[in-house]
Amino acid sequence: MKNRLRELREERRWSQVELAERLEVSRQTIHALETGKYDPSLPLAFRIARLFGMAIEVIFDDGEAPPRAERTSARR
Amino acid sequence: MSEIASRPVSRSFPLSAVLFLLTYLAARIGIEVFPPGSPLRVASALLPVAPFGWFLVDMVRGVRALDELQRRIHLEALAFAFLVFMLVMMTLGLLELAIQLPPEDLAYRHVWALMPLLYYFGMWRAQRRYR
Repeated sequence: MKNRLRELREERRWSQVELAERLEVSRQTIHALETGKYDPSLPLAFRIARLFGMAIEVIFDDGEAPPRAERTSARR
Repeated sequence: MSEIASRPVSRSFPLSAVLFLLTYLAARIGIEVFPPGSPLRVASALLPVAPFGWFLVDMVRGVRALDELQRRIHLEALAFAFLVFMLVMMTLGLLELAIQLPPEDLAYRHVWALMPLLYYFGMWRAQRRYR
């Protein structure tokens, strides 16, 4: 699963260790998430979303959901 | 550094592991020293049980304190070690029936040590995947 974790972390100028501390996980987990080698559990995905103040689907993309703009226009 | 990032399997893990290994060595020596039939010989054989209990509690506590990825790594390592060990035991058992195996070389006291080695190999293998 693709995600914007690295991009969001770098925007905030946090190191992997700092982000790991904020999420209470190991640095290895952050690295595995950023490189797409590991997909988080739902509770961890929620923690990540809350930390960055965004919806889960803004951070994680499973490649199946249509882009947000498309979904918004479909609702109208 | 993150507490979780730098946390070992358990804080007292090395101590409990070392104590277990020391009592195992003491047991081996005790069995050699005390004559057959001696209660001290039996006591020597049972010496590592209590330290192993501490080691076990330490390991379980440590695994509970890990994050989800680290738990997955341990699970993969355990699954690998368990199944390979099962294969080794099964093969040795069948070979025992098929041919004469030297009982001294393939006794339980030698074979059990393979399990932690397989576990650490499994850990290394699983860690590599998430690096």
